[in-house]
Amino acid sequence: MAPNASKIERLKELRDKHGRTDGSVLPDPADPPKDLRQAQPRFRGLEAGHRACQGCGEALAARLVTEAAGPDVMISNATGCLEVFTTPWPQSAWRVPWIHSLFENAAAVASGMEAALKAQGKSTKVLAFGGDGGTFDIGFQALSGMLEREHNVLYVCFDNEAYMNTGIQRSGSTPHAARTTTSPPGKARMGKRHLKKDLLSIISAHHIPYGASTSVAYPADIRRKVRRAMEIQGPTFLLVHSPCPLGWGHDGALTIEIARLAVQSGLFPLVEMERGEVTDVMPIRKPVPVANYLKAQQRFRHLFAPDDPRALQEREHLQALADYNIEIYGLYSEEADPLDTDGADTVRRGGLAN
Amino acid sequence: MAAITRGAYARPGTSLAFKTGTWRVEIPYHKHWAAPCHAACPAGEDQQAWLAKIQEGKLHEAWNELVTANPMPAITGRVCPHPCEQACNRGIYDAPIAIHNIERFLGDEAIRLGWNYPLLRPTTPESPAVAVVGAGPSGLSAAYHLVRRGFRVNLFDALPEAGGLLRSAIPMTRLPREVLDSEIQRIFSLDGLRFHPRHRLGRDVSLSELQSDHAAVFMGPGAERSKAWDVDGAVPADLHQGLHLIKEWVDHGEIPTPKSVAIHGGGNTAVDLARIMKRRGVEEVYVITASGLPGPGTAPDDVLNVVPRELEEALEEGVVFFPHRTIQRLIMRGSKMIGVEMVHLKKLPGKGGRKSRVSFQGTERVLNVDMVIPSIGEAVDSAGFENLIGNANYFRPDDWGRLAEHPGVFVGGDARGDRGTVSAAIGDGCKAAMAIQAHVEQTEVIDAPRETVGYESLNVNYFEPKPRAYVAKIPVPERDDFTEIEQDMIYAQVVEEAGRCMSCGNCLACDNCWTFCPDNAVIKTRDVCSDGSHYLFDYEFCKGCGLCATECPCGFILMRPQD
Repeated sequence: MAPNASKIERLKELRDKHGRTDGSVLPDPADPPKDLRQAQPRFRGLEAGHRACQGCGEALAARLVTEAAGPDVMISNATGCLEVFTTPWPQSAWRVPWIHSLFENAAAVASGMEAALKAQGKSTKVLAFGGDGGTFDIGFQALSGMLEREHNVLYVCFDNEAYMNTGIQRSGSTPHAARTTTSPPGKARMGKRHLKKDLLSIISAHHIPYGASTSVAYPADIRRKVRRAMEIQGPTFLLVHSPCPLGWGHDGALTIEIARLAVQSGLFPLVEMERGEVTDVMPIRKPVPVANYLKAQQRFRHLFAPDDPRALQEREHLQALADYNIEIYGLYSEEADPLDTDGADTVRRGGLAN
Repeated sequence: MAAITRGAYARPGTSLAFKTGTWRVEIPYHKHWAAPCHAACPAGEDQQAWLAKIQEGKLHEAWNELVTANPMPAITGRVCPHPCEQACNRGIYDAPIAIHNIERFLGDEAIRLGWNYPLLRPTTPESPAVAVVGAGPSGLSAAYHLVRRGFRVNLFDALPEAGGLLRSAIPMTRLPREVLDSEIQRIFSLDGLRFHPRHRLGRDVSLSELQSDHAAVFMGPGAERSKAWDVDGAVPADLHQGLHLIKEWVDHGEIPTPKSVAIHGGGNTAVDLARIMKRRGVEEVYVITASGLPGPGTAPDDVLNVVPRELEEALEEGVVFFPHRTIQRLIMRGSKMIGVEMVHLKKLPGKGGRKSRVSFQGTERVLNVDMVIPSIGEAVDSAGFENLIGNANYFRPDDWGRLAEHPGVFVGGDARGDRGTVSAAIGDGCKAAMAIQAHVEQTEVIDAPRETVGYESLNVNYFEPKPRAYVAKIPVPERDDFTEIEQDMIYAQVVEEAGRCMSCGNCLACDNCWTFCPDNAVIKTRDVCSDGSHYLFDYEFCKGCGLCATECPCGFILMRPQD
């Protein structure tokens, strides 16, 4: 059977199971659906009632990824906020098969799930979710093994740049100079001494078919990259920048605003890599000064201390890191592109413009 | 309560049993604001609402929405100074929407396709009747809005044709007469409206007759009597008033052609006249006005009261303006005029804050001209209704057009003295119709203006810069007395241009709130909700983070403390 035909059949099976229509017949306006939540024109893989904080970037990112991946998936989830806030037993916010085992083994569990499904001749896609702690640090060797063994798994890392679940400890993903509870700014250091690990390059060095970074500020970009990865047979990887209002110290209403500034400043570049090569980037229309991004967050507040010369030095350091990203990825282009950092989120009546 | 399961598993989606809405300290809500264009429109149009219909591809519905306020969009699209465009928030972002061009397109489409007015209530022979005096913009608008509300209307005008100033004083280069006739004809074809031409108040019909035969009387007589003008008591022997000259030119095509002329005044009449004379070969045409030209140094209330496009065209055609100046002496040789002495002046606040004109000694300058034409405004010619107005130049009604000492009589348009545009007259007609309905039904007239949304309420990250549509104009050497100068927009341009509207303060149906809610607490619906959007907040789950409010491009979502 052609893979497409089996997908269609599988979708029909899932629809029948959940009593859903395929959308070809519109609901009768005289008899509107009783429960509007049930009638939402999108797949609700991650349902309301989860316990994420107000304005949680990770909850939003996980919702968007699950929505785009569609119903025919199974998820292996590493320990972390996402695992905790979505599954306060005996409840679960997930509406797809989902499993949690340990902090370090999400990729290993996903590998086993994929092998088992393959043995049964099923095409259900396996996703593995982890935070930056479970991906950059603790689960890294399991992830590396999964990629090396070429399992057909999409691994999604929700990057909020510290161990938020356990109380904001620094991780390999925490940016330089950020304050965490284990990298407090003081006389000796201005926040984290080391740099953010360039995970995407390391992942890409496994020569996998597709790895990309994306951001909650650009839902359309998330959707496109998830769909791209879903189509690929083999290991794929997504790094989703997702602000944490609690850990970063900003108002929950500003999550998107801050995620957008990270991309527009060049500090979090959105790139796509295939087989170790950069194949696409989201161009920056007009680079925003990194200071705009920093000053919106409490974790960088010490970088604006008026009479500490190190503050300006570290700010300039971060600006130089952003400039470096812009330079090596060629993010800045003279001409406006409809899908650059300013154009990609353009809306019109009825939805996205591009 | 969810069942405790054996083993560590849970059923899908069971978190719905946990209502995270209880965490909320702030609650999001939709606010239906007035867009700045709507707030600025003297005719009361809601431009945002009809641009939204064009964005949906529904031109006819857009026109239907437009004519709930203004029955003559093809006319106002041409003659209105469009304060909506000056107010447009998009002007702060890149360039304002070309609202007047789109309005004109909609008006022309309606004429071409024969669209009919959507009425609120049918008129029957038993419906109360209202007399409307004067078939100019305010009278036509009042008649339309009254019929729309189910009244019978008798419309009187002294002249054989309706239109008032639109017909007698607006050049064909701005308003082709076919357009005027078509829109008037559409109003006249309304059931319940009867037009009585050649009926001058006081000559063919008396005010008391009208009052006894009708439930109410609307007065839209306009301002026809030119104000007395002299310079220190001196008047040239061959004095002609500006408005009179334009009327002569419209009727007979004749205009004096001296070698040089100074026109004193700063309104559309002055500028129209200047351009007509320039085209007819008057070499030097000067406009002397106490107001300023638009520019960074000029306060908005000090700018010449002229359609901006007309001023631009006049400058292109070589009319010379002397802003912030007045004429302080006429220079005569015998009875022949040879020049004027100008002096700089400004309208400045004096004692008590009231503005008065202050001229500056030492700035006098002589301008050699053969002719001077005053065009400083007109007053009401009160023949036939002296008892309503007395010796005053204008009526002084309240905002609804009601005269305190004459219940049942309503006034609008130029006769108020504080209006001065066709659009304002149309707005007066609408307001008066509402007030007349309240008067007849003995209720209170309700005015519930919405708050205006400012640029700072928008999230412009979600819009892209896009140049304003280019509309062609006839080049200066090819301009004549009859051909319209500004050209049409084509359909594709209208759709593009309407697409630039940022939907200030009203739902754009962009899905942002639905997409960005981390808690799945925004519900999208196929139907339009009572607040005009397609989205509902699910307050059972909304945690009140405020993301939707921050990311709403239009300022339509706000947060307030949870009570």
